[in-house]
Amino acid sequence: MAHKSKSPYLKYPEKEPFPILNKHSHYDHLFEEMYELEEKGEILVFRITEEYRPKYVYTRTGRIKVIPTNKLWHHKSCGQCGNIPGYPASIFWFMNKFGLDYLNEPHQTSCTAWNYHGSGTSNPVALAAVWLRNMHQAWKTGYYPLIHCGTSFGSYKETREQLIFNKELREAVKPILKKLGRLTEDGRIVIPQEIVHYSEWVHAMRDEIAELYEKEGKAKGIDVSNVRVAIHNACHTWKMIADDYPYDPEVYNGQRPAASTAVIKKLGAQVVDYSTWYDCCGFGFRHILTEREFTRSFAIQRKLKVIAEEIKADVIITHDTGCTTTFEKNQWIGKAHGMYYPIAVMSDVMFSALACGAHPFKVVQLYWNCSNYEPLLEKMGITNWRELRKEWEDTVKYIAELEKQGKYDELMEFFKEYDLYEPYSKTSDGFKYRKSATSDLPLFKS
Amino acid sequence: MAEQTQVRKYGYNIPISEKTLQVPWEEKVRVIEEVKSDFRFKEYLFGCLNCGVCTASCPSNRFFDYSPREIVQRFLENDIDVLYDMMHEYIWACSQCFTCWIRCPFVNNPGGLVIIMREVAVRNAFEATKDLLKPYGRVLLKVMTTGNQLSADMLQPDFFPDWGPKMLDNMENLRAKRMAIPFDVGKSVKTAWEVSLQTAIEMYQIWRETGIFEMLERLDPNLYNVIMDIVEENEERWEELMEEMEEAEA
Repeated sequence: MAHKSKSPYLKYPEKEPFPILNKHSHYDHLFEEMYELEEKGEILVFRITEEYRPKYVYTRTGRIKVIPTNKLWHHKSCGQCGNIPGYPASIFWFMNKFGLDYLNEPHQTSCTAWNYHGSGTSNPVALAAVWLRNMHQAWKTGYYPLIHCGTSFGSYKETREQLIFNKELREAVKPILKKLGRLTEDGRIVIPQEIVHYSEWVHAMRDEIAELYEKEGKAKGIDVSNVRVAIHNACHTWKMIADDYPYDPEVYNGQRPAASTAVIKKLGAQVVDYSTWYDCCGFGFRHILTEREFTRSFAIQRKLKVIAEEIKADVIITHDTGCTTTFEKNQWIGKAHGMYYPIAVMSDVMFSALACGAHPFKVVQLYWNCSNYEPLLEKMGITNWRELRKEWEDTVKYIAELEKQGKYDELMEFFKEYDLYEPYSKTSDGFKYRKSATSDLPLFKS
Repeated sequence: MAEQTQVRKYGYNIPISEKTLQVPWEEKVRVIEEVKSDFRFKEYLFGCLNCGVCTASCPSNRFFDYSPREIVQRFLENDIDVLYDMMHEYIWACSQCFTCWIRCPFVNNPGGLVIIMREVAVRNAFEATKDLLKPYGRVLLKVMTTGNQLSADMLQPDFFPDWGPKMLDNMENLRAKRMAIPFDVGKSVKTAWEVSLQTAIEMYQIWRETGIFEMLERLDPNLYNVIMDIVEENEERWEELMEEMEEAEA
């Protein structure tokens, strides 16, 4: 081990942390190329400096990956925000709990990679331009990008590899970025030192999360030690650009992805192995919408049925948007064929937030789930979930009433207390241009 | 045509449609060359042991007539007819999970080859591709006009009866429920989060500069017109806003 590189972005430990299959990673060479391009003045590497409070994990090649934990620019997921809003809300909740600084602004676009993988209606130049536009926006604010979506993460990792190794792609995308005003003042492309998924942040913060559980979760009577957990790793986090995702000696001796599994183990829940752990969920990008018989057949037969019969898990823990949606929404239909295997489904960060005492409806927003999460809450010791649900439903009624009466000022005042984000509505430009793409309410209400 | 079919040396059981057989040979070669000239192609295709581990672990293979091994083999054999035929329907079965990529001992990326083939199929506006992507129009409309791919208002229970009765409940009083999401930019109904107009305008520039709008026009002219109406309206709003800002500063 201990390969010496002149690049400050490529480091290995002195000793192998676990048996390593691939010791000649082409991908790791990227960090040397990236440094050379920076030296030539072609790119600017958005470095993870001390202000981002870095932590360190290993990839499967043994490379030390740097994970920033503070001062983060939230690159949200459209599937999560549109469909599983408790997913990002749980991330923000933890950041508030740990007193971390972050920026969650409207000046971010989706990666557009879900659309690309589903329909092919884009191209590498467009994908690179979208990615670099978002990275430039983060860099401009001084907050380091944290990618919430697994597909964005996978796509950005791949796009970066293509960009670093292909001059023609850099030459194609640069004039576009110039027109957008998305190059540095001296005309360089901004590329982040590491592309970081939120599950890597959770993984790096697992000790702090476990501490919070001990301190606050247990004080509320929550106990996860009897909860049986099936882990589902998302394909686009660990199969796409496989050499850039955490592995750890404590998780299957470094032979399976470590994120999610490690935090669940740290919380003291029971991670139980099952035979189809390797399979995807059946999301398929286009399939979840337009080939649904495939998605539901695969999800039920290869995952839900197996997990129910082999290990009788209480919950499936995921770390991506599509998998959570697929497992969660494709249970009820199984009744049509006598294949109904009800099980709670949520992401690692949602489960962790519940364990640490977050409100199941206000924060974790379980209301939107179509699967049966109630038995899990009971088993975790959150036995007052009915009252908590009523409390949230009353909040919804209150909001609806204020809006009906046109009391927008009152509504905005209410949100200042209710919302997690502090300070309220903080953006990099102080909302100089307060207009949205859809003129939707209420944030952009003039 | 029959002659061309006969010269295929290997007896793989992939039927070639009549439509493909009727397409001039030069045209089929042109399309396949377009795939092979993509800069990613050389990074996605290496040797192949024919071990079949990609197909054995492929989710789509379990339910469709689809095999990633065949994709790799057909390219290695340069089997123009079969490849051209695959580009009309076969490739759309792939789930894009990239299990094939992580498992291949030669680091071939059949899922990556498929995405290049899909892109070329879309760029050439194949009829089968147009039909196949028709139900996907709502996503295209959303992503092209807002930069978001999904929003709460797209998940109408009528479209997803198979997701169960809780979906019906979720969609009642949707607007107030969205506002009860506890972070400001997440409260929108028409987008996943509120995307600033400035961001959307930058997206439109990217679509223009990279030929995405042109490609959409060939693929679905009606959808293209709807998209462009929204894009132009937003661009006008942006210009007005800029003028207002200039006046205010003056």
